[in-house]
Amino acid sequence: MAVVVTIAVVRLGVRWYRRRSPRPRKTLGYGWLAGDTALVATREIRERVRARSFKVVTALLLAAVAGAIILPVALKGSGHPQHIGTVGALSGPQRAAIAAAAKAVGTSADFVAEQDRASAEADLRSGRIDLAVIEGQKVMAKKAVTPTETTATARLAYTAAAELGVLRSFAQAGLSPGQVATITSGKPLPVTSVEPPSSRSGPARATSLIGIIIVFIMLSQYETWTLIGVMEEKSSRVVEVLLATVRPMQLLGGKVLGIGTVAMAQAGVLLAFALVLAKVAGSDLLQGSGPLTLAAALVWLLFGYAFYCWVYAAAGSLAERQDQVQTLALPLSLPMVLGYVMAITAASSGHASVFFQVLAYLPPTAPFAMPVLVGLGAVSWWGFLASIGISVLATVAVARVAALVYRRAVLRTGRRVSLREAIGA
Amino acid sequence: MSLAERPEAAGSPGGDVLELHGLTRRFGDLTALDGLSFDVPSGQVVGFLGPNGAGKTTTMRAIFGLTDLDAGEVRWRGSSVGQTDRRRFGYMPEERGLYPGMLVGEQLEYMARLHGMNSIEAARSTRAWLERLGLGDRATSRVDALSHGNQQRVQLAAAAVHDPEVLVLDEPLAGLDPAGIEATGAVLLELAGRGRCVLFSSHQLDLVEDLCESVIVIDHGRLVVGGRVDDLALAGPRRLVVRVEGDRSAQWARALPGVSVSEVDGGEARLVLDPEVDSDAVLRSAMAAGRVTEFGFRRRRLSEVFREALESGRR
Repeated sequence: MAVVVTIAVVRLGVRWYRRRSPRPRKTLGYGWLAGDTALVATREIRERVRARSFKVVTALLLAAVAGAIILPVALKGSGHPQHIGTVGALSGPQRAAIAAAAKAVGTSADFVAEQDRASAEADLRSGRIDLAVIEGQKVMAKKAVTPTETTATARLAYTAAAELGVLRSFAQAGLSPGQVATITSGKPLPVTSVEPPSSRSGPARATSLIGIIIVFIMLSQYETWTLIGVMEEKSSRVVEVLLATVRPMQLLGGKVLGIGTVAMAQAGVLLAFALVLAKVAGSDLLQGSGPLTLAAALVWLLFGYAFYCWVYAAAGSLAERQDQVQTLALPLSLPMVLGYVMAITAASSGHASVFFQVLAYLPPTAPFAMPVLVGLGAVSWWGFLASIGISVLATVAVARVAALVYRRAVLRTGRRVSLREAIGA
Repeated sequence: MSLAERPEAAGSPGGDVLELHGLTRRFGDLTALDGLSFDVPSGQVVGFLGPNGAGKTTTMRAIFGLTDLDAGEVRWRGSSVGQTDRRRFGYMPEERGLYPGMLVGEQLEYMARLHGMNSIEAARSTRAWLERLGLGDRATSRVDALSHGNQQRVQLAAAAVHDPEVLVLDEPLAGLDPAGIEATGAVLLELAGRGRCVLFSSHQLDLVEDLCESVIVIDHGRLVVGGRVDDLALAGPRRLVVRVEGDRSAQWARALPGVSVSEVDGGEARLVLDPEVDSDAVLRSAMAAGRVTEFGFRRRRLSEVFREALESGRR
């Protein structure tokens, strides 16, 4: 699907280019797509995939995705067990209460019998144990803990102390062990709602963040490839040889199509890898609106690339040296960075401001903003499609201007061509 | 210049002709091409000459549609040149262009395919060209790993790999060593011998004289002179070569009426004679200046054709 849409955009650009071309040309029907443009795209794909930088970036992205999926799962299950020193005997219900408290705060309890209070204090100081329970009456930690601390030890100290306190109250009230067992094994009542669950859940938020970061990395990577690729063809002068037989739009279209195909293939591999890994590792990233968010990110990677690639290609045709490229690339990257930062902020806070909602309909920032809105459940399907429609129209317009700039600038060598010269000449 | 006057170095009669009609190109106030017209017949190597800035590169770019024309057109086989025709053309620009990081063989195959060959033809032709240019073992080298001379050979192969009907080369001999010049010249002559249309520009007039059957000379975007090298050499005023022992500056000839000294090279004076001048009078003057060791009529050299054409064109 990705390739089909890219092709459609390229063809619209070509059709426009042909129409405004001053000389009547022999129409080649649809054959051009299977011909020169495909040849150019094929070369582009082969050279790109062969490059070491591609392999390195792919490996890094795969590692990043694996890390983002595996780490939360691994961290959740494996808080290291808390060593609880016990002075005097603990009753069964007391041990059970401490173990339950440990499980509730995401760790486990490992009981260590202590001779007396002094040895328990010594072991606390040395770190051999994390907490001590004195005669079932008191919980002792190495340093003073407060109820707001989030370390496993502090949370266990408070939770265990509360549970033990309840048990002591039951005993003081004269309840039999059987009655106590009945009370402590009580199950909570079910809670239902009249509306479906909100999608502002933790996992979907994390999925949004991961999706946006990957869209940003990939867009930056592939748009830079387009920029540098066009610049290098100009600086090596090979473009003059190519344009002697290929039309500018075929060369430009083939390049953009080739790089875009590599980008979407890489994104597809990443997504498939993420899905399989999340399934195997039992990650909750793909629960709730997670899959929808990832799908939206993939779609917008495509439209984002299609929009920006023309801009970057035109910029590349103005320059013929690395330093000229850098001065061009910085202003071009600003809308992308704005969209990225705003999207990260919105995804983290779980709140989409009106300004952010507007950004989701502007082609330069939509690739970042729209997937976040999808993750937050803050956009309707027609809003999503409307933004795509705006982006496609803008892409066609940008491609027209880019083709004009490219055609006029790419054969002018010797110094950087100004945009005004390229458009006005 | 009307069509009837168009210089046309007749190659194989009835062969294909690349026609340039009234090419005009202005860059702001600068007129790069000023109604330039000439024909390039197939079956011979045609030299394209002119001082720097005369419009040679712009003309060549115009043949490939790489520069917009304000007026005029390029025709091949009688009709205006389009994209389909250009697939059968080969071009070697002045500033060479290859993908530095691409493998030599793949680069040539890519060029061949862009010019309409299928993959089998492209592979076969690439192998043949690399063998022929002595690069048979470099097909899997990166272009930027080759020496400068070998990169030039690859560039020539890139222009000719698809067996073009029209081959246009901008300064193909610049920067080549004698072996490279010989190899390039041999390729051009062979292609012309197979009925192809070969046009190349150069500043090395002695090399052009050896290679070309015809030349076109332009200046300020206009045609100055064109035709067969033989015809041009025999045309114009008589010229004498005189060598007087001990004389290095040909002072004795400079005072003679109707005689101009074209050049003096190592004691050999080349004199251009006006029609009314009696060559015996020149011989007597020479003998008066010293012992005459050489005295004879000569053809015009191409460098003289070039210089005199530019002088008369500018006058």
